[in-house]
Amino acid sequence: METLKEILSPDFLLRNSVYTSVLVGFACPLVGVFLVLRRLVFMGVALPQISSTGVAVALSLPVWLGLTVNSAEEHAHTLAFVGSTVFTLVAILILAWLERRGRGSAEGRLGTAYVVATALSILLLSKNRVAEAGWLDLLKGEIITISNFDLGLTAISLAFVLVVLGLFNKELLLVSFDRAMAATLGKNVLAWDAVLYLLIGLTVSVAVLSVGPLIAFGFLLIPPLTAHLFARNMKWFVILASLIGGVSSFFGFWLAYQWDWPVGPTDVVLLGAVYALAFGVKKIFSLRQPKLKSRLAK
Amino acid sequence: MNASLITLDNLAIGYDGQAVLSGISLTIARGSFTAILGANGTGKSTLLKTLLGLQPPVSGKIQIGADGVKPIFGYVPQAIQFDPLYPLTGFDVALMGTFGRVGTGRFPSRAEKEFVRECLRVTAADKFAATKFSQLSGGQKQRVLIARALATKPDILVLDEPTAGVDVVATLALLEFISQIHKERNLTVLLVTHDLPLVKKHAQQIVWLHNGVVLCGTVAELFTPEKMSEIFEMEVG
Repeated sequence: METLKEILSPDFLLRNSVYTSVLVGFACPLVGVFLVLRRLVFMGVALPQISSTGVAVALSLPVWLGLTVNSAEEHAHTLAFVGSTVFTLVAILILAWLERRGRGSAEGRLGTAYVVATALSILLLSKNRVAEAGWLDLLKGEIITISNFDLGLTAISLAFVLVVLGLFNKELLLVSFDRAMAATLGKNVLAWDAVLYLLIGLTVSVAVLSVGPLIAFGFLLIPPLTAHLFARNMKWFVILASLIGGVSSFFGFWLAYQWDWPVGPTDVVLLGAVYALAFGVKKIFSLRQPKLKSRLAK
Repeated sequence: MNASLITLDNLAIGYDGQAVLSGISLTIARGSFTAILGANGTGKSTLLKTLLGLQPPVSGKIQIGADGVKPIFGYVPQAIQFDPLYPLTGFDVALMGTFGRVGTGRFPSRAEKEFVRECLRVTAADKFAATKFSQLSGGQKQRVLIARALATKPDILVLDEPTAGVDVVATLALLEFISQIHKERNLTVLLVTHDLPLVKKHAQQIVWLHNGVVLCGTVAELFTPEKMSEIFEMEVG
């Protein structure tokens, strides 16, 4: 409990890390819901990896240009943010376009994108020690040092995603659920697809920069899957997924701080445990339901 | 004679510039009940997609509406095509019918929601409005989808194989209901099906797709032994 009080204190040294972690935890499931519903989970694996390749390119740039920018400096972070966002958005638009053409294997494309992106990141950074250290931290999900600037950038980006998702939820849901109906109602299906993909891309790039690709994927996938077990309608599905992500990220941070574990992996393992627990509870309830119904009938 | 709502002039339909069906010329009058009939793979769905504007025609002309006013399509797709992963209730699905009128970035008003409830009542789907769409039976899903189509305030109700995956009793009830709202509201109905007996009972005009040939006419014109034998290339009766 002492650790919890310490974390919640406004003077806590790592408060920016807590805030960032919780923000990412709340925001990622909001777009993850659409990845799960559109059965684009593989995209959720590939995109964070491509995003981290963008970070690798950005961290390598100063070295290629002969500049001496330390990876811990603000410039490096901004550069990484730009690299991450550009790579993610370009990749998601290309993948979406290929998906729309409907030719070849979508899983094959995403798998190739994932493995090539990972290999490319390693290649790019193998000759760049400073950048390599930064990238490895990112890969492991070390979210210990977050500046006010980084926190602000994360908060603004994710607030933008939240507002756009909230405002255009009905259009995004309609084009996801029934494209033909959307077209007959005069909706520009391609444009709304692009909006959704841009939101996913932005969220992924911000999340990767804050918590790394593995953890970003965990937050995109596991909270929506857990929420789906209990959601009775779309509104509760989204709210529950976001709450599971946000609350798990906070308690994940608490556990990691208490036991001196890396924050990101702790978050993902916790999310996995919550999913397993929820699955068990759901099973027990569904097994007991017929008995309850027969008792009520008597 | 009612004014024409849709006119097809020497239309060729298909994919990637390759025609699967050509020489389609017909008129669908306002207030009529037209059935597009044909076996699987004859181009029924392609014709429907072209009419709905989901796919461009290979060649020919389509005129939809009159005086530059486009009619509103109340589209009822096959219920089995929907992904059961979406946690949407029957009401949520029916509410989508209002999304064409409700402005971008706006939310359906209380009046729109009440109108959707009314549409669900009309289609006798109000009892399962709060149930998950994925948990409904085939017939119940179709009723919700028809309610959704009515919620668009359509000029033309377009039904794509509405009886696919629906049991016989529900199929009969569904077609009776469609026929009833067609008569009560003078609603134009375009029904795609391969169910011959249903078409005979309810449709006024038939568009029969068979072996790359399009035959148009009334039930009385097409369902004669001569025409049937011509269509099936064998003697009937």
